[in-house]
Amino acid sequence: MLEIRFHGRGGQGTVVASILLANAFFKAGYYVQSFPLFGVERRGAPVEAYLRLDKQEILIRTNVYHPDHVVVMDRSILQAVDVSKGMKKGGYILINAPAVPKGDHWNSAFRPAWVDATRIARDNGLGTRTHPILNTAMMGAFARVLGMPPMEAVVKAIQEEVPDQVEKNVQAAKDAYLAVEGFEI
Amino acid sequence: MKQVLEGSHAVAEAVRLAKVQVISAYPITPQTHIVERLSDYCADGTIKARFLRVESEHSALAVMIGAASTGMRTFTATSSQGLALMHELLHWSSGARLPIVMAEVNRALAPGWNIWADQTDSLSQRDTGWIQLYCETGQEVLDTTLLAFRLAEAVNLPVMVVLDAFFLSHTYEPVDIPSQAQVDEFLPPIIPRIQLDPANPCALNQLSPPNIYMEMRYQIHLVMQAALSELEKFEGDFERIFGRRYGAVEPFLCQDAEIILVTSGTITSTSRQFVLDQRAQGEKIGVLKVKLFRPFPVEAVRGYLKNARKVGVIDRNFSFGAGGIFAQEVRAALYGLARRPPVFGFIAGLGGRDVTLESLGEILTRLKTLKRPDPESIWIGLQEVQLAGPKS
Amino acid sequence: MKAKNNSIRLPERLLISRSYTTSESNKTGSWRYLMPRYYEKTAPCSVACPAAEDIGRIQMLNTQGFFKEAWDTILVENPFPAVCGRICFHPCEKVCNRGRFDEAVSIRALERFVADTAQRYKLTSGIEPMAFTGKRIAVVGAGPAGLAAAHFLHLLGYDCHVFEALPEPGGILRWGLPRYRLPLAALQPEIERIRNSGVSIYCGQAVGRDFLHSAGETYGAVFMACGAQRMPLLRIPGEDLPGISEGLAFLCSVAQGGGPGFQGTAAVIGGGNTAVDVARCLRRLGARAMIIYRRRREDMPAFAEEIELALLEGVELLELYAPIRIEKEGNGLRLTLQQMKIGAMGADGRMRVVPDENRIRELTVDQVFKAIGFEAAEPWHVPEAGAVSHLKLRQAVLTQGANSVPVVYCGDPVTEIQSVVHAVASAKEGAMALHVLLTGGTAAVAETLAAAAVGPGGSLSMEAFLKGERLNRSSHVVAYEEINIDHFQYAPRMIQPRLLQAERVASFAEIDLKISAGMAIREAERCFNCGLCNQCDNCRLFCPDLAVRQEDSKRGRRIDYDYCKGCGICVVECPRNAMVLEEEQDS
Repeated sequence: MLEIRFHGRGGQGTVVASILLANAFFKAGYYVQSFPLFGVERRGAPVEAYLRLDKQEILIRTNVYHPDHVVVMDRSILQAVDVSKGMKKGGYILINAPAVPKGDHWNSAFRPAWVDATRIARDNGLGTRTHPILNTAMMGAFARVLGMPPMEAVVKAIQEEVPDQVEKNVQAAKDAYLAVEGFEI
Repeated sequence: MKQVLEGSHAVAEAVRLAKVQVISAYPITPQTHIVERLSDYCADGTIKARFLRVESEHSALAVMIGAASTGMRTFTATSSQGLALMHELLHWSSGARLPIVMAEVNRALAPGWNIWADQTDSLSQRDTGWIQLYCETGQEVLDTTLLAFRLAEAVNLPVMVVLDAFFLSHTYEPVDIPSQAQVDEFLPPIIPRIQLDPANPCALNQLSPPNIYMEMRYQIHLVMQAALSELEKFEGDFERIFGRRYGAVEPFLCQDAEIILVTSGTITSTSRQFVLDQRAQGEKIGVLKVKLFRPFPVEAVRGYLKNARKVGVIDRNFSFGAGGIFAQEVRAALYGLARRPPVFGFIAGLGGRDVTLESLGEILTRLKTLKRPDPESIWIGLQEVQLAGPKS
Repeated sequence: MKAKNNSIRLPERLLISRSYTTSESNKTGSWRYLMPRYYEKTAPCSVACPAAEDIGRIQMLNTQGFFKEAWDTILVENPFPAVCGRICFHPCEKVCNRGRFDEAVSIRALERFVADTAQRYKLTSGIEPMAFTGKRIAVVGAGPAGLAAAHFLHLLGYDCHVFEALPEPGGILRWGLPRYRLPLAALQPEIERIRNSGVSIYCGQAVGRDFLHSAGETYGAVFMACGAQRMPLLRIPGEDLPGISEGLAFLCSVAQGGGPGFQGTAAVIGGGNTAVDVARCLRRLGARAMIIYRRRREDMPAFAEEIELALLEGVELLELYAPIRIEKEGNGLRLTLQQMKIGAMGADGRMRVVPDENRIRELTVDQVFKAIGFEAAEPWHVPEAGAVSHLKLRQAVLTQGANSVPVVYCGDPVTEIQSVVHAVASAKEGAMALHVLLTGGTAAVAETLAAAAVGPGGSLSMEAFLKGERLNRSSHVVAYEEINIDHFQYAPRMIQPRLLQAERVASFAEIDLKISAGMAIREAERCFNCGLCNQCDNCRLFCPDLAVRQEDSKRGRRIDYDYCKGCGICVVECPRNAMVLEEEQDS
């Protein structure tokens, strides 16, 4: 079983990113469980969402304390939250950033990867300039970094679950898939 | 077709498939996603139902009572404070024998203000004459909602479908959404036994003096008891059509278990994992999930627990001055047996505190070490609390 | 019914309370030993109003926006709503039951609003006069009493000729009241309405004493309404010096042309409304004005509100000073004033004043005005003592000489208080009495008038006299304790919008400004409508047996005695005591 934690801000589509990714894994034959941090956060506040995936039925219904990987939708979160808290060693931290962010927020136990999802979303005309919609780009980058789910499942999940601008969202996922940096192949 | 579906939306899909005719609800976290989806469905014509907006939960249930009295299939949803506000009309709806179905998302009662999972809200309505069904998974939420309509309309009593806040209501997981044809086969249109008719006017629920009131109550008691066999019958139909069955209680590896955990709601799910882990290490433990709380399935509980060496009941609820509510019910059920296992009451997960595998490990350790149960419940994961009292 | 443990069958019949029998079969009326019924009563304001205006009903109509109907309701009792709505001393407001709750209803302001609205929309009255009697009546004097007499006589079916010595009708209203209290534009339409109804007014036609004897040739009766214009003497040395004028004559000259500018200091002797009017006019003309009064401010006959406004305008008040001498001093006049002090209580309930030893004060002014009350100008303006029949009524006197037509005296010379509304009441009483005299003889007067009385106060209602609906009401005057105040919410009395204080003395413009219909309706809604059904529907809403039924009648509802069990809740919940609970009559 893999556990993935998403960090973002209220209104950035963090929860939707975890749900879309859950769908993509489900289509790739996984059993999935996705849920937000159970809280009362509002727009702009740091939020978290979680994704569990396994090849068999997931019975455990508790919070995620020791994620295998972390996805960070907004690099400003790095100043406010310890995104590596409880993480298992060797996990990826996928960050929406044009370059690897400076600082000692993580150590050699974790593997950073980064993609400029904001630029990709804007280039594809997703959302507004102030509020680009990042989650499909982050999905594409995630699929590349972890090597799963397969891009076909990502594309299918977007086609079935995203209400509009499907082609642009698929393109954003593909662009991010190619653009993501920092991981070991 | 299987889809990744939020627990709240599983309720909404079931309500859609049940072809409900009147919906009324007042929003409250964590029930909101249920009624948001339903109001969308009513607005876009997916459901051909009247959605009545009201100013409170009390009014929402009043609308249900009015609509059900005209023979409509009705649905509402609430949580916590909202359910508490409905209290008066909860009694009214059962006394009036109206087959209303309600989704109740278990949330802690305030103060302190808390929106997280806790069963005390629904359990404190146990004497209102509502049938209560507790759910463990998104699939079970959908299936139980369909069952609830069938059961309510058969026995003419209201049914509460209960699901944990967030752990179920806000969790996405694969759920099989049945086809409309399947649901139509299982759940035909309502044949109301109470139906106000302007052409043949009547007064309902007026003065019932002592010479009849007691018999009316006794009949409710009888149909409550009948609901046990009715549920079993409908679960048979359900299994034939959908291939799934839950039971009023469900044993998980109880057959040879020396220690049996009694659970309800999502704690059951984690407990299953826990039992599997412990079995792998040679512990002979099992889980008995209680799905039907009212009527309480006394015979079934006795049957599965009577041979255990120890029983540990995990309550995500508390009755002040007494103990965990499921534990009380289990003890009362076993009391008539000549040979009965000791029942240990554990309080865990109040106000949404997580009940983890580690919590369950602590419960097992206590169960193994304690010889006989203390009348007091054992609170799990509790930080030290001072008893506030007069200084002497 | 027996529970079996394993296979419980569902019952075939639901055990719930459900009844298809109509509750109408239970005729709860048979339980009744007390019986409620609608019985309207008398509001204290209408008793206090000398003209007996149906104030509770007027406010009810106002709340519904029926301003014309409200206006007609006033006109049947008083032809001068635009006048009295401005200058009446509103005894009604002093007894308003609402005053015990929070503050009295602003009845006068509402009367003015109704009159102004009628004038604004040039409404014509919907009151139908009685059939013409064939009789013609002469009215001497076109002041408030004479015009009101003509109005009421016209309603009773008489042809009236009004004779006025001055070139225009109106009397004190036209010549004596300053414009800032009663603008000409408000007065003229009231007079025009009376004239247009068919009353002939002949101005510049002074009538002499002989007329009383010769009138019989042309007229069936004479109405004497000459008013009181002559000022009594001060009876002090120097009161006829140049520079000393009579207040009323001064007001008349102001009314005619605004009067000359006046820079000096003027003393006004007196404590009535005329004294206050003179002082306030003087302020407007540029003078320093001092009122000299021998008693205290609270003893002044002038309306308290007028005194208050006068002081705000800079009028000075010298209380407890009696002039004892006036002398010439240079171009001015020297007043010698005796300081007075409070003595014993008089028989009339007022405190007597007596000279405070030899304390004297001297005052030099440029001009002195006398305003110490009025009496009839001619002796024949008041009833003749030697008449064959001399019927002294409350506000009028009816006489009949041996060989002459009946003569009715009304207005200031015979009323208890000299006020416009008393003149109206006097004219009404005189007109009614005359009508009874001419149709039924002297003996029937007292009884017939008593039947038209509103409450115990003696105010007479023309509506009741004409056998209208007010006759159906109980004469019981509703007390505050009989109002169910649970049905009312506190609401402050409207604040009369006025000219800015600084602007008031700059001109003769009316001080009290118009109010909006919304404001009027809100104020009228404060009225308890004491004793009157205002269709609030409480009786129906509170009836536990649904025994109050709506119907298409004037009242809009009736009690269905088949179901009324006589619990009396309707009577208790009637906010305004328009119902009564009585013992069941044996049928």
